[in-house]
Amino acid sequence: MKQWKAFWAKPSHVAYLFVMPVVLLLLIFRLIPTVAAFVCSFFDMDMFLVGKGFVGFQNYVEAFADKRLWNSLWVTVRFTLIEVTVQMVVGLVLAALLTRNTARNKIFRAVYFLPIVCSATAVAIMWRMFLHSNVGIMTYWFERIGIKGINFLNDPKITFYVIVFMSVWRSFGISTVIFVSAMQNVPHELYESADLDGCSRPRQFFAITLPVIKDTFSFVLITRFIGSLQVFDLVFTTTKGGPNYTTESLVYYTYVKAFSNNRMGYGSAVSMFLFVIILVITIVFYSKLFKDEA
Amino acid sequence: MKRKAKAAVSYTIITLILAILALIILIPVIWIGICAFRPQTELMQYPPKFFAEQLTLQNFIDIAKRIKIWGYVKNSVLYCLGSTIPAVFLNSLAGYAFARLDFKGKHVLFIMVLATMMIPFQVIMVPLFLEVYKMGMYDNFAGLIIPNLGAAMTVFMTRASFAGLPKELEEAARIDGLSEFGIFWKIMLPLVKPTVVTVIVLGINGAWNDLMWPLIVTSDTSMRTLTNGLAMFVDSSLQYGTAFAGAFISICPMLVLYIFGQRYFVEGTATSGLKG
Repeated sequence: MKQWKAFWAKPSHVAYLFVMPVVLLLLIFRLIPTVAAFVCSFFDMDMFLVGKGFVGFQNYVEAFADKRLWNSLWVTVRFTLIEVTVQMVVGLVLAALLTRNTARNKIFRAVYFLPIVCSATAVAIMWRMFLHSNVGIMTYWFERIGIKGINFLNDPKITFYVIVFMSVWRSFGISTVIFVSAMQNVPHELYESADLDGCSRPRQFFAITLPVIKDTFSFVLITRFIGSLQVFDLVFTTTKGGPNYTTESLVYYTYVKAFSNNRMGYGSAVSMFLFVIILVITIVFYSKLFKDEA
Repeated sequence: MKRKAKAAVSYTIITLILAILALIILIPVIWIGICAFRPQTELMQYPPKFFAEQLTLQNFIDIAKRIKIWGYVKNSVLYCLGSTIPAVFLNSLAGYAFARLDFKGKHVLFIMVLATMMIPFQVIMVPLFLEVYKMGMYDNFAGLIIPNLGAAMTVFMTRASFAGLPKELEEAARIDGLSEFGIFWKIMLPLVKPTVVTVIVLGINGAWNDLMWPLIVTSDTSMRTLTNGLAMFVDSSLQYGTAFAGAFISICPMLVLYIFGQRYFVEGTATSGLKG
């Protein structure tokens, strides 16, 4: 007993006890499921693990011919490209305007971050009423300026862009906040000497600010990109993928196949598409980052 | 003088644009509060009005009749506390070991922890669900909470904070006869309090607003959290007034948390990137 105690009193031994719970949790609930996702994609089964069992590449054969899957992939990619671009530009411009810690800037920064702390469900309830096809205020305001009969949440042509807008509305505060803290660390002397040289503010932004914060820029770009590829909450709470599948994202489609249709194997195969995209982006990004640093 | 006037003009214009943007953010959020207290009939009238003409508490009475809203709130609170407090303890313990203790295999284990950060949750949700189901954790708090306890980001953040503390601290503590756990618990952990609070605040917000995991891993109405129970309710009913009462209950605690803990939200976002 005494030996036992002495053994665990050594820092190099007790360290294993300290890291073990987390290592085990991550192993069981993160790493094993990652491997299992790959394995599951070769099976036909429901949530009770009942089904045809191992079916080889059949899920993938079906997936490659699945028009709804390709549609959801295209919706997701288009959504991500537009949403991330807008978010980056808006975030950069706002951060440049709000860098200094004045009272005005602090208030605006606090307001812009506000929607991200509200649940998607609450925000969705508000937008569904705000954009309601008959009694929505926005719909009414559009009528007043002469645009009649607009149906924001049920029109194959515009609903996709409404989702993009809602997503940007909800989360541009994130990129703003991150860019602000990066810009505050840019040495002030750089701007002072640029001022003396008569360099204009917009030029300073491109010539000084952007190059100095480029690591933060890549960090935000990659995290926002990967985040947007996984869009689900807003779709689930507002359109359910409609109208006519124009807002059905890849993750939403995965959810429908796996949990509504109870096809766990096929759902896993579909999620592999997302995994490959994210994996490729991550590897390309980090290999470039490490190459730049070496 | 001319230059000063020009600067004042551009300052005013910029402030104006920023203010308009702030209104675009604020109006919808404030509107949730307005609509929660107005009669259902008023919400459905045409032409629609932004401000309420009558105020009522009827929506709150109605929603309590239609769904077990206070049960949902209780579940959400349990989910928030259950998945943040133990998680912060376990993850910061690991972060401490990775930062300040030497042991064999440390590097490999740390790389493994970091690797899990790159696994998107949405990719593993199907097998994770099957695993949780097979372990008998479907439709209970164990299933909601335990799979989320290990968080690589928290390990990463606390490790960075612990690594910044002076080396003499634990040497002095060891001479005083404190155990390794005592050093962590009594000396080190209190010194990284800002990081711990940041992680707790972000964790509470994340769990409160989490839609997907509770949606997948619970089915009984008595197990629903507020965020997903409300989403289900909205789909099954067209009672917007009642839904707004639910939305109001859903955002209030987070707004309070945000008002008092804004600093932690901002710091946490800047280091972790935050989902959303």
